[in-house]
Amino acid sequence: MERYAGLRRTILISFDIDGTLEEGDPPGILAIDFVREAQKDGFVVGSCSDRPISAQRAMWERHGIEVDFAVSKHMLAEVKSQFSADVYYHIGDREDLDKRVAEQAGFAFLWPHEALAKPWHKASFRR
Amino acid sequence: MKTSPAPASVYRAAEGLGLWEHRGKVAAVGVGHSPTFRRWDGTPANSVGGISLEALRRAIDDAGVDPADIDGLVMDPSTTTGAFWPKGKPLPWEAINAYNRTDDPLDGITGLSAEWILANMPQLNRIEFTTYGVGCMSNAICVAAQAIGNGRAHTCLVLKSWHNLEGRYYQGGANAGNAIPGSSAIRSLWGTPACFGTAVQFAEYCRKYGKSHDMMAPFIENSRKNGLKFPEGYWAQHRPEEITPEDYEAARWIAKPANLFDNDMPIMVSAAYLFTTAERARHLKQKPVYILNHATSRTRPRSLTPTLDEVEEDTARTARKIYEGAGITADDLSFENMYDGFALFHQFHIEGLGYRGLKFGEALDFYQTDISISGPNPVSPSGGNIGCGRSRFWMHTDCIQQLQHRAGARQVTGVKPEIAVSGGPMPVGGNYMVWSATPD
Repeated sequence: MERYAGLRRTILISFDIDGTLEEGDPPGILAIDFVREAQKDGFVVGSCSDRPISAQRAMWERHGIEVDFAVSKHMLAEVKSQFSADVYYHIGDREDLDKRVAEQAGFAFLWPHEALAKPWHKASFRR
Repeated sequence: MKTSPAPASVYRAAEGLGLWEHRGKVAAVGVGHSPTFRRWDGTPANSVGGISLEALRRAIDDAGVDPADIDGLVMDPSTTTGAFWPKGKPLPWEAINAYNRTDDPLDGITGLSAEWILANMPQLNRIEFTTYGVGCMSNAICVAAQAIGNGRAHTCLVLKSWHNLEGRYYQGGANAGNAIPGSSAIRSLWGTPACFGTAVQFAEYCRKYGKSHDMMAPFIENSRKNGLKFPEGYWAQHRPEEITPEDYEAARWIAKPANLFDNDMPIMVSAAYLFTTAERARHLKQKPVYILNHATSRTRPRSLTPTLDEVEEDTARTARKIYEGAGITADDLSFENMYDGFALFHQFHIEGLGYRGLKFGEALDFYQTDISISGPNPVSPSGGNIGCGRSRFWMHTDCIQQLQHRAGARQVTGVKPEIAVSGGPMPVGGNYMVWSATPD
């Protein structure tokens, strides 16, 4: 759960990996600590990537983060049906494979730099 | 004089040619690979020219040959994975000027001429024969083998390199325009991903033989496993990720029934081989791998993409050419390394070959058995493009290294590596090579 502007809302964030997270290939601008801190703050977090699901899980395990979900790019709608949240975000770096997919699944879409500018983002998470 | 593509006469494209006249008299000895990268980082050393020089140097060192003894160079001047230099984008002058130039500033950046190579490898000062085998390494090695057999060169480097730029591939070049020049508009499929034709053939294959896409999972899993044992490969170097059957079945469709993992990933990479005469090979550093035959398919489908019937007809015809020229049968194959740069056509290749007695429609069941490098029926021990990234040459390197017993963790153990076949790319239209540990 997260509080800001006097509200308490459940926020789910789906992270693309390549081009979005610093772990990505190519590396993106979001540090893994961004995810870690979001989870600590009570956000529902996970990854939605073209990487094999087993590779996504292995990546999170390496960082000691127990994500709530790890899915392929076309599975965001399933994530939405599995988790109840007030807001669903997908953060990614591609117009077609992130923005379009997110919007089709009923997620709000954020470019990585937009995620960094969100009020729930802490300055210390920046790379 | 500028280097030209090899003439059609060097290819063994017809049936009934008999034993290859140079059977066992040409050998591969040295192998050199550049490091791999997902995309060019803009540095001169990692440009397609830079990595090509690295691969060539490594092949020369690996063979233990004096560069002054090298008199031939066969290569592919095209290096694109589908990425082109964007129109209007400033040229990368730092990288261009880091090397000796030809009259095309993008030579060494988005293409590669023999003239560029020779201008930047002064140690290759005795090369008298250069030619192009266009399209991929499969083509270039056939040209080089024939050139050595014909006496055009006695010690020949064979080179294939790929560049990949930032952004999405297949979005530039002619695809970026609003109009298609010439007759391409009626010769090419419109609006489909590259794997579409193969997906259509595979769909028909599943219908005809009662198979399903999930039956491909063991092949994909095996290919990536083998690829992760290929230290020269992209996935082994950068992202050591396996693909489990669950991963495979959860992947999104690109052109149903072809999913993401049925497609290879474009990378930057270069490979070079050193070919020479069997006689000279005996005095070089590595064990010679003898060439028993090369064969080519130049079949043209009746329409835009070959039907399954045309595919099966042609892979069977290709196999007859391969076996006839090499003087072998399917039973002589220790393993196969046919192309997989869409995974969904690998079975067309090996069914055509009759590998391990396979008939059309049987390969997907075969994939459910032990196809690993430790079993009696290795399938794609190189891991191919699925296991190592897009290069279209892992299969050839693997054949050479397996027969030299230099494949390391990838070495086949369930069979004695004696005779192998590799080639591609497409099941209809490609070039193929038969390799042997002995000249006869």
